[in-house]
Amino acid sequence: MKISYYSPMPPERSGIADYSAHLVPALRERVDIEVVRRGRTRPARGTDLSLYHVGNNPDAHGWIVEALRRRPGVVVLHDFVLHHLVAGLTIGRRDGHGYLDAMEREGGVVGRLLGHGVLDKRIPPLWESRPEDYHLAGEVLDLATGLILHSHYVKERARAAGYAGPVWRIPHPAWKAPAVEPASIEGSPLIGSFGNVNASKRIPQLLEAFARLRRERPDARLLLVGASSPGFDLERRLQRLGLSDEGIIREAYVEEDRLWSLMAACDVCVNLRAPTMGETSGSVIRQLSLGKPVVVSDVGWFAELPDSVALKVPVDIEETDTLYAALELLARDGRARAAMSASALDLVRREHGLDRTADRYVAALEQAVGGEAVAASVLRDVSRAATDVGIGPGSPEAAELARRLAEVELGR
Amino acid sequence: MRIAVCAPQVPFLHGGAEIFADTLVDELRARDHEAELVTVPFKWYPGTRVLDQAFLWRLLDLTESDGRPIDLVVATKFPSYCVRHPNKRVWVLHQFRQAYELDRTDLGQFSEEPADRALRRSVQHLDRIALGEAQRLFATSRNVADRIERSTGLSADVMPHPPQELPYRCEEYGDFVLSVGRLDRAKRNDLLLEAAALDPSLRVVVTGEGPDRERLETIARERGLNGRAEFTGRVDEAELASLYARCLAVYYAPVDEDFGMVPYEAFLSEKPVLTTTDAGGPLEVVADGRTGLVTAPVAAELARAAGRLREHPDEARAYGQAGRELAARVTWGSCLDRLLA
Repeated sequence: MKISYYSPMPPERSGIADYSAHLVPALRERVDIEVVRRGRTRPARGTDLSLYHVGNNPDAHGWIVEALRRRPGVVVLHDFVLHHLVAGLTIGRRDGHGYLDAMEREGGVVGRLLGHGVLDKRIPPLWESRPEDYHLAGEVLDLATGLILHSHYVKERARAAGYAGPVWRIPHPAWKAPAVEPASIEGSPLIGSFGNVNASKRIPQLLEAFARLRRERPDARLLLVGASSPGFDLERRLQRLGLSDEGIIREAYVEEDRLWSLMAACDVCVNLRAPTMGETSGSVIRQLSLGKPVVVSDVGWFAELPDSVALKVPVDIEETDTLYAALELLARDGRARAAMSASALDLVRREHGLDRTADRYVAALEQAVGGEAVAASVLRDVSRAATDVGIGPGSPEAAELARRLAEVELGR
Repeated sequence: MRIAVCAPQVPFLHGGAEIFADTLVDELRARDHEAELVTVPFKWYPGTRVLDQAFLWRLLDLTESDGRPIDLVVATKFPSYCVRHPNKRVWVLHQFRQAYELDRTDLGQFSEEPADRALRRSVQHLDRIALGEAQRLFATSRNVADRIERSTGLSADVMPHPPQELPYRCEEYGDFVLSVGRLDRAKRNDLLLEAAALDPSLRVVVTGEGPDRERLETIARERGLNGRAEFTGRVDEAELASLYARCLAVYYAPVDEDFGMVPYEAFLSEKPVLTTTDAGGPLEVVADGRTGLVTAPVAAELARAAGRLREHPDEARAYGQAGRELAARVTWGSCLDRLLA
């Protein structure tokens, strides 16, 4: 089986490039994989199946969607909300009509009118203000002959969007935690947040909760690692909360080794998100690999983490209070931290092993290549037997047969 | 309780799994349950027939019979555990091993064609769904439980089952090594014959029937084992118990076997078991130098191990007696308490 593999790859800086760099060597041990050069839209000669990694970043994934349009195949959907991607492929290429068509396809006339509002700059970009309401994943779903997803959440959303093809949920593979020395950073506790510093990572809520914690625990430190998004005035927020002194430790983009070292130094890692695009967090996976207790937003994939490894903060009016309570609990209770740490390591071993992930990929790819023939054969046998005993199409008995087949996912 | 025990049957074949299902029904009845064996013929080839036949189980309605509810179903083996029931318990003897560890071996079934590769995955997917529906999931050995965990992510409780009822006894540590079971390639009786070819003083008795018999008899002939390799065919219970009672040791070394009752039967006859390091489930009860001898799957090593037992019958007796203590702990009473809890 030969697979043409479309994905951003290092040195591109993207979580999906990191993911593929981790996964491809393990896949190569199992199947014939050719990583398609960036920008190329034709599959390798002799390809049985094309595999497209699609995320929400138009710079990283625009060319992959173009390749998908030329030859449908299995899509690894890293984000469910693709509004930013579609905006980049349309508005970003001066194709306003394309954007309007995409909006109309998903939201009807109202969607088209809203699209006009975006083009005319009369309303804020919908990919920032209402991404959950207009995911714009429709075209990619139409082109996908199968979907590989990381979470039940995205599976449910794809089904709700009318996707009827085969779906495989394959947990994100974990990295083997490297043998790095924890960075020498003080803090009791040291709380880490990794990723872009902006509102959708709930940094304002985190700062407020941390400010409260620090009033009671002056030794607490908050490590913020990642670039500040344009328009997010971190300094002013820190001043307002009285956090501009040594309470906050800032690092911008860091290389992989430093990232691990910083994570290893933390007592607790916070990973908040709202709205979610349906993404999985490579940061959380790294933190779990290190056995770190994590605090996450109770949304999307994050909500699916076992309660034994993550404290979950609902995105509601009490978000800051709940977050404070979670941080306070973990600061106070070393036994809880230790139990979460052990559970995290166990989860990574059971669910996120690289070999296991690669095996699941191969299973999905084999089904994608030959599954249709299997389904057709089973259906042929069952319908022949049904016809032999007088069960005709449209009869209640035929409907019962179809239900039973669907229960065990045969014949699809 | 009204309990339906579900097991597939391969017409004209009768082996350990069938004995297990029959005995389970008998033991349930002995405890005042209304128990019945429900069985459907199973043919796993060609092509997608394996799925068609699994689907037959899906069409059965075992929620009630003759207007009275069936309280519980106990399924034992692929594909019987595809059956639907609100109170389904599965005591897994075997998954469809051709879709797992036997794939891409001489004992496998699926080719490299895309449709065959996908078919294998469909069997695995069906396992995930069908076993995932079980209210309680047991595995007959750690080997089986581990495979279920690897292939489906489901956790099964390990629960070995007792062997068939026979008049087990020990009369002597005689001059032959006994092999018991269906004659197919996976049971690897050829290894025992090759060992006998290397040691002119080693005698073997092979019981059972199966598709591999002709090949095994040819090997015996070609290796000049005249009179030292006896093929008895299928024997009745009395004869089987007598062979166990008189043999020196019992050979049982299939490739990565799930469980196998033979070691327990040997132990109840106070006989040590000769097995190999790749035998899978039997290694959970055959401990080298405690209840038998475990060698590499190499004829010369097996021959040496058999020779050692023949020269040291006290050792054979000690291993057999240690095995007996182990086997005596596995009872139907304790199994059924867990199964029905």
